[in-house]
Amino acid sequence: MQSFIIAKKELTLLIRDKLTATVLFVLPFAMILILGLLLGEGFGQKTDDLMRISVLNLDKGFGLNNKPWAQHAIEDMVSTPNIKVEIIQNKELAEQLVKTGKRAAVIIFNPDFSDRVNECSFLSTGVNPFHRDGIYLEKLQVSIVKDNKQPATSAIIESVCQIALLRIVMPWMIGKAFEKLGDPEFIELLGKEVSLPIPPSLRLLIPKDKIPLGELLELASGKDVVLAKNYREKVGAGIQTALTGQFKNYNLTGKSWASLTRSVNNSETVNTLTTFKNEDGTGILKRGAIRYQILVPSFTVMFTFSLILISGWIFVAEKRQGTFNRLLSTPVSTPNILLGKFLPTIIISLFQIFFLLGLGKVLLGLKIGLPSWTLSDWMIALIILPLATSFCVASFSLLIGLLSKNETQLALFSSVPVCLFALIGGCIFPWEMMPDNAKTLAFLTPQGWALEAFREIMPSSFDTTTDFQLIWKSTLVLTSMGFILISITWITLGRIRFGNS
Amino acid sequence: MTQTHSVILKIENITKLHGQFKALNTISLEINRAEIFGLLGPNGAGKSTLLSILAGASKPSSGFAWLDGMEIQPNNLKLRARIGLVPQDFAFYEDLTAKENLLFFGQLFGMQGQVLTNKVNEILEIIGLDDEKAHQYSKYFSGGMKRRLNLGIALVHSPDILMLDEPTVGVDPQSRNRIFEAIKIINAMGTTVIYTTHYMEEAESLCNRIAILNHGEIIACDTLQNLLSLTQTTINFSIHENDQTKSGILQNKLPELKSEPLQGSYSLTSHKNSTPDIINLLVNEKIQIINLHLDSPNLEKVFLSLTGRHLRD
Ligand SMILES: Nc1ncnc2c1ncn2[C@@H]1O[C@H](COP(=O)(O)OP(=O)(O)O)[C@@H](O)[C@H]1O
Ligand SMILES: [Mg+2]
Repeated sequence: MQSFIIAKKELTLLIRDKLTATVLFVLPFAMILILGLLLGEGFGQKTDDLMRISVLNLDKGFGLNNKPWAQHAIEDMVSTPNIKVEIIQNKELAEQLVKTGKRAAVIIFNPDFSDRVNECSFLSTGVNPFHRDGIYLEKLQVSIVKDNKQPATSAIIESVCQIALLRIVMPWMIGKAFEKLGDPEFIELLGKEVSLPIPPSLRLLIPKDKIPLGELLELASGKDVVLAKNYREKVGAGIQTALTGQFKNYNLTGKSWASLTRSVNNSETVNTLTTFKNEDGTGILKRGAIRYQILVPSFTVMFTFSLILISGWIFVAEKRQGTFNRLLSTPVSTPNILLGKFLPTIIISLFQIFFLLGLGKVLLGLKIGLPSWTLSDWMIALIILPLATSFCVASFSLLIGLLSKNETQLALFSSVPVCLFALIGGCIFPWEMMPDNAKTLAFLTPQGWALEAFREIMPSSFDTTTDFQLIWKSTLVLTSMGFILISITWITLGRIRFGNS
Repeated sequence: MTQTHSVILKIENITKLHGQFKALNTISLEINRAEIFGLLGPNGAGKSTLLSILAGASKPSSGFAWLDGMEIQPNNLKLRARIGLVPQDFAFYEDLTAKENLLFFGQLFGMQGQVLTNKVNEILEIIGLDDEKAHQYSKYFSGGMKRRLNLGIALVHSPDILMLDEPTVGVDPQSRNRIFEAIKIINAMGTTVIYTTHYMEEAESLCNRIAILNHGEIIACDTLQNLLSLTQTTINFSIHENDQTKSGILQNKLPELKSEPLQGSYSLTSHKNSTPDIINLLVNEKIQIINLHLDSPNLEKVFLSLTGRHLRD
């Protein structure tokens, strides 16, 4: 009861102190907002080992196996290790992404792409897409929009595109050409072009030095038209067989890179095909930007723990002003007085958490929870976890406030839990930006545990499940840390003499 | 029996050590019910240290104190309701109004509702803070008003014994009078008062009995009258230059007479001769007095005579 009277007084004082209220509520939100607007889209995301290729597919035709050639090209890139392909939905978006520098380049397969590939042939009548350095993109109706400010990245993207196209077009053209080998017209052509020398012993029969292959076949068939055709086909098949035998490692009729090269796909099939998602938010506040999913929990945890400094400050000021001695001269026991200082910290901390999450949700489009959550899931996320966090904060505040004799000591003592732990705990630089073993260190701090759990309840776009076990674990750790701190406070209390004693 | 009945606070051989330093040295005192008891001593004498022990805010190194037979100890919560301590430094919340401060501390003493409201209004009246001031944040108060609020908070739970630690330091005369009035009112209602100060005038004008504390020791403790009688009145007078030949007569009749450096000036400090005696003597001898003044005894002189140094140096 008396603790509540003291708690109420503490809250009144805190609310009347405008500066403190600002620091507690406005400052963290302002920092979230400022960083949210300043930081790029990639903030806090795992620095990718994968090269991202953005593709706009407008292809209307069909190619091998009745599949658009663009589709073949995209699949080719997807199955390339270290490359992930992102599908851009439309041309305006593609141009905008490049113009704003968010993408270095976007590959566009224009509507006629498949038709053009189909026309590619080594025959003089077909389209020849090759030049010395690769493929004429424009001949295949492929275009690349590039950001001039990112020449290196767009050059890499272009060569990835070149390679993919080569691997599509080459087998296709070789396959078609190889088929041509069996064509009677081809053999006829061959028969005219290739002349064989006649050995002297046969010169009596054929009074020539050389004879074209075609004539020879005609001779052999004895002017039988059907038989002659038959022979020609045999020659064609013979050439094909011979070549097949010669290039045992290749399936010359495969028409695709994989079958041409008889390669087995041994790269792990990871799904590296995604569609472009706007993770940069909309409007001036960048509502819904993915980085808020990291910024909000980080700053919420960091500023909640900064209560250690503020509560401690009020406590120390009270001790120095003599009001604490006056409290000690009332019939309220010391543990009750301390409880009266402990409760407001919990309340303010809870309030701060709800304030930041609420404002984040309303103003910044922060995503909290998943559609699959049950009522008890929501309770764990929004009541139990914040309570455990606040409990830990309040315990820390009490101990530091009790141990500090003056403001200087307080600043010194609290710099460890407020600043250092926030840094180690990942509140300032997300774990994704830190070395791998940094996260191990983070779990030595309450902030690390709190942040891990709070990030779990504010899922990033890839999360489809929530690890409630992790949230429970964090809750348990935070509560235990709180109890340990309270025990230390209790032991300290027995040794501390207040006032002028 | 009657004597023990009138004693509300008994202090026996209290010693307080700060490390090697003896802030209090075997203090023994008895304070009577409903009196205003003065504790006079220079800065650093140990007044605050003693009050803090008597208020149960700290423990003596040795010795005891009893309030109505109950030993005063820091963890005795029941005793706290009977004691009101006005600390030397301001001890209230500057971001609360005067009224809020009073209500808050009243609540901590278990008071509530109309009883508390009435008491708070009564105290605001006693310490002379009007309604407007009562609703002002106390950080905007003048030094005098802060002192008065500091006093008021110690009164809210109607303690049996009120202990004030230099409650008039840095206040204007008007506030000082207010504080004195308040103390007298409270005392008239039956509250015992221990008043600590290093201003001897305050002790003289307010206290029934006074203890003089120096270097942690009680060097005197008695009623004001008895303390003053430890020193004598000094009579200073000068005679006309024509009568200076008669100085021999004076020296004869008044062996303790001292000649002052200024010619014709004398001073006399004596038990034997009262002022009228001397005036009679001068008139009878037809010696013309041009100047006469009395230096009455005061606590300053008492302190000087007891310690050989001044109260305020
Ligand atoms: N905590 C302490 N540690 C060491 N010395 C102290 C402490 N508190 C008071 N003293 C010393 O004890 C003496 C008495 O102090 P105090 O009771 O405050 O004197 P007063 O109130 O009469 O001015 C002073 O010399 C002071 O320096
Ligand atoms: Mg003092």
